[in-house]
Amino acid sequence: MAPNVEEAIAEIRETFPGLRVEVEPEAQGGAYVVVHDLEFDRLYTPERTWIGFSIPFQYPDVDVYPHFADAALARVDGTALASAFQKTMWRGQPVTQISRRSNRWNAATDTAALKLRKVLAWMRDH
Amino acid sequence: MVGADPAAAADQLVGHLFRDDEGEHGAVLVAGIAATERGVRLLVREVVRARDGIDYVPGELGYRALTPRFVAEVSGCCADENLCYLAIHNHGGRGRVRFSGDDLASHERGYPALLDVTNGGPVGALVMADGAVAGDIWTPHGRHEIERYTMVGPTIRHLFPSSPQAVLAVDPRYDRHARMFGDLGQRRLRDLKVAVIGLSGGGSLVSQMLAHLGVGWIVGIDHDRVDLTNLPRIVGATRWDALGPLARSRSPRVRHLSQQLAKHKVHVAARVARSAQPGIRYKPIVGDIVDADTARHVVDADAIILATDTMQSRLVFNAIVHQYLIPGFQIGAKVRVDKSDRRVEEIFAVARPVLPYPGAGCLQCAGLIPAGRLREEALTPDERAAQRYVDDDEVHEPSVITLNSIGASLAVNDLLLMVTGLLPDDARMRALMYDAQERVVQTMNSSSDLACRYCGTTGRSHFARGDRGRLPCREAQ
Repeated sequence: MAPNVEEAIAEIRETFPGLRVEVEPEAQGGAYVVVHDLEFDRLYTPERTWIGFSIPFQYPDVDVYPHFADAALARVDGTALASAFQKTMWRGQPVTQISRRSNRWNAATDTAALKLRKVLAWMRDH
Repeated sequence: MVGADPAAAADQLVGHLFRDDEGEHGAVLVAGIAATERGVRLLVREVVRARDGIDYVPGELGYRALTPRFVAEVSGCCADENLCYLAIHNHGGRGRVRFSGDDLASHERGYPALLDVTNGGPVGALVMADGAVAGDIWTPHGRHEIERYTMVGPTIRHLFPSSPQAVLAVDPRYDRHARMFGDLGQRRLRDLKVAVIGLSGGGSLVSQMLAHLGVGWIVGIDHDRVDLTNLPRIVGATRWDALGPLARSRSPRVRHLSQQLAKHKVHVAARVARSAQPGIRYKPIVGDIVDADTARHVVDADAIILATDTMQSRLVFNAIVHQYLIPGFQIGAKVRVDKSDRRVEEIFAVARPVLPYPGAGCLQCAGLIPAGRLREEALTPDERAAQRYVDDDEVHEPSVITLNSIGASLAVNDLLLMVTGLLPDDARMRALMYDAQERVVQTMNSSSDLACRYCGTTGRSHFARGDRGRLPCREAQ
């Protein structure tokens, strides 16, 4: 695994203490990461879900997106998910894709952990 | 052992050492290192100027010396950053320089300990006069002289301990070249190693031009094979290279077989180069610059020309330029077509110098390596399909030889003038864009960000770290 990717994973573990972080290296030097047991203030069902994403080997020059969640992800109030959500496949299983591209991604300041926090914040607002 | 110094550091250094007082002044060069089969290069990242009377004072055993406190501070920083410590001072005279006996004695007293402090260095000293540099470099394995010192700017200037001997007249076939840049200029071209990344339309022309110019050593890198649609723009490619009869077969299996057996583009480029210059040293590499093993073939080049259109290769090229202080050029041509009515909207060709000093064309600072595009290129075909990206690898951009040749000519011509010293020292090496419909060549300003991971010199930037930084490459699996 590329050293920058290892650092990103360490930062994710620090940023989300107490949560299970599952990591699987991918062939090019990047990694697949899944953070479990995330909560969304009872806005979504299931109440606790996971968010997965890949960190490519050219991180941090490369944006970290899209993110993926449980295929059954739905809003508790029954309203439709925002257009940035779509049903697709990831790593051989059906998932909900969350597309939040950072057009101003800055390799000097943006990180995978920060991006995940932004995605979670966005989900809580939508 | 060779030193390389980007223009900004060279200006600072020369201005600090050679002043109106004509006295002796000192500084420390903080440097990275690159060890390759061509030798070891020390890469100047930063000039730390010693203040006269404070950091650089009359010595007890020699004329002047850096204070122990200054040496401790700077060498400590070098140890922390895993960089090399090179003290430098100036002598009088012109075209020839060497250390004094006092200088060498001070090295013998101080450098064994400094090697320990810096975890093996290398450490050492340089002495500079007008038009000459000598060096005494210490490593855990021995003591070495500096072969030459290279300043990379609009002119690539080499300094030696003493002026090189007169250049013998070159091959008479280069007579018309020599009338422009002399036998010395032709000799410099012969000694050059240039890497060409991408040997399709633009790159094949670059490779051919370099061979005709008399460049002695070319490394060509491309993973792709020739197909029939390449023939109108890859110089020297034939129907046989594309296995034309098979490629036209009605059978998909036969067509697929032809794609697997057609000649690699880089081998066509090697054939064309050897035809233009039979004695050329041409190393064709079937590979991708994004792979670490392939990128290693480029880090000791004297110049790199990028003629590919992927963001991943741009990122690696830009990193190598700044991390190894190698002048680079990116070329390209674009025909913008309206997707709805197929109307041609723009036609232009670009040649962009990417030089290893701030403000000199960093592709990252110019926003030419979008993080989102990099992300898309990192996906597997299955992921691309699942995540609904619409770009289809089988749908190619328009491309014609006339446009490709403009970008190629502009870049190779810039390199030629830099190497042979025909550009003024204050030349602004801005990108050139030829707008084919307006029939004008425009210059484009470059931008630089001090915090850039590649051209910036602050914090953890990769600038001039050489082998002591990591390239954004795929490691061998």
